[in-house]
Amino acid sequence: MRKNSLLIIGLLAVLAVVVTLVLASPSFAGKLEEAIAKTPQGIGKGMIDPSAKPGFMGIPGAPHSFWLFYILWGIWVGWIFSSVGAFGGVMAGVGHITVFGLADYGRTFKSTSPPLNKLLTDSIRVCNQYLVGLSAFISSVTYYRMGRLVLPLGLCLAIGGILGAYLIPVLTAGKINLSMYVGYFGIIVFAVAFVLFYETTPSGQERKKAAKAAAKAFEDIHIRKCAVDEGGAHACGVQVTHWGVSKISFTFYGQEFSFNPLWPLLGGFVISAISAFIGVGGGFLYVPFLTSVAGLPMFIVAGTSALAVLVSMITSIFTFMFIKSVPVDFVMIFTELIGIAIGSVLGPLTSKYIPEVWLKRLFVVLAVYVGIGYLTKGFLGYSVMPGM
Amino acid sequence: MEMHPVFLFLDPYLIWLYRLSGQTLADFLIGTWALAFMALIIGEITISLAFLMVKKRIDQTTAEAAKYQRLSMEALVEGDKLAYKAANKLANDAFGKSFFMQIALSAAFLWPAFFALAWMSHRFNDIEFPLPYTHHSLGFIGVFILLFVAAYFLFKGIKYRLPHFRRIKQILDGYPDRTGERNSFADLAPERKKPGGT
Repeated sequence: MRKNSLLIIGLLAVLAVVVTLVLASPSFAGKLEEAIAKTPQGIGKGMIDPSAKPGFMGIPGAPHSFWLFYILWGIWVGWIFSSVGAFGGVMAGVGHITVFGLADYGRTFKSTSPPLNKLLTDSIRVCNQYLVGLSAFISSVTYYRMGRLVLPLGLCLAIGGILGAYLIPVLTAGKINLSMYVGYFGIIVFAVAFVLFYETTPSGQERKKAAKAAAKAFEDIHIRKCAVDEGGAHACGVQVTHWGVSKISFTFYGQEFSFNPLWPLLGGFVISAISAFIGVGGGFLYVPFLTSVAGLPMFIVAGTSALAVLVSMITSIFTFMFIKSVPVDFVMIFTELIGIAIGSVLGPLTSKYIPEVWLKRLFVVLAVYVGIGYLTKGFLGYSVMPGM
Repeated sequence: MEMHPVFLFLDPYLIWLYRLSGQTLADFLIGTWALAFMALIIGEITISLAFLMVKKRIDQTTAEAAKYQRLSMEALVEGDKLAYKAANKLANDAFGKSFFMQIALSAAFLWPAFFALAWMSHRFNDIEFPLPYTHHSLGFIGVFILLFVAAYFLFKGIKYRLPHFRRIKQILDGYPDRTGERNSFADLAPERKKPGGT
């Protein structure tokens, strides 16, 4: 089974690369040097002064932070990841967009040098993706070892994932200006804020309590195991009973589960498209999607979703880095990664002193602030929130 | 582009790796492979140290996730859909916590690779290898990633011979026993009789 799974993953990865190579047209998105060359020279707004000190990606006059600042921001991101969760990805993006001043700098080129403006947008989202998506990919591989693969489900997710991860970079690289990107980022921040907020409401808390009570009640009941014979063992595992265009069924521990293949296909597409477009790493959405929306068992889902993350990450990074030649600032990424690593250690050590629900409430406030700031900045042209 | 002082300090040592054979292409591949291998080993060491520092918390979240996974599976065995849904939701929550903790920990593995790429971007930014039968070419990033993956699989074969990584493996292997929880379907499902076994 494990050998087969590895073979399937390998084949899908090769397919992702081949599809990307065959379908993609050569990049004319413009490399950094070309974009800089097309930008007017001078010391005014929207111009590049060649004698200025190189900053982000070596662009003369671009914002540049002291390396310790990147590490400190990384610690903050890592701390949030290991204590609150998904909001860490949003904060990684906030760092690039606002804290390090890249969006404001990029926006100055909106009319003077649109290619540079769009290249900076692509670079910010690829930086986000490297920082968050790649780490999510490594986590997913770890979970793959714990779970099992439901082949038809994994295939549907992965095919949707390849499409989303391929189409979004190809269709949008070099075409999205920074204002639009910041606006869309604001929408995602609001979505995360909503989920966090719901978890802190009496209804959300009650739902969790009810789930705990139901689980506890079940735990107290005598548990009957599957029959210990070869036939029984067979019935307890995952058995695909029906392959169809509109319905795939499998039994698991004697219970029948079925799903319309369109859902994981669509889910894989949407999740990997969000991941590639915003660059916040949507891999974490696969598991809640499959357990909550499709109602599938968690243990199957963990391993299966890892396959989709793996395939869509390969496609997305391959497309951005090789087909569309988006440059990134590796110094910024590696210093931030050092910070995230430190934050990942500090998070578990400190989070026990802060009640989880209050931590979530704090981040709801922060998310609403950031979300409104980005939405207004992106779609109105100015932020109603100070400092954004 | 101006080099960061850290890269300036390391540059003479790192570039030495690229001057071993005198053949340009071979030197590039040997140097990049050595760099990828070093980045991999440093990453493996830092993630293992970070893991040891937060092991206690990881133990807790892993145990919680495992507990609800087990419950959900047992609820399935019982045919109790309500209990299954409840336990499945809690398993999902616990999984989320554990997943994001691991995302942050993964940074400890990745940073040396990006350090290497940052240095390479100063030295080899213009290098391109045309891909046959396509309009595309492979830059230094592509070569590094391919060699990093190769180094990963090579190191995987030998790393548990080293005492530090053997200790980490023992800890990881011991998870199901220590938490008292099952770690896979196979643990819950009845044992199959091995052919010819007893």
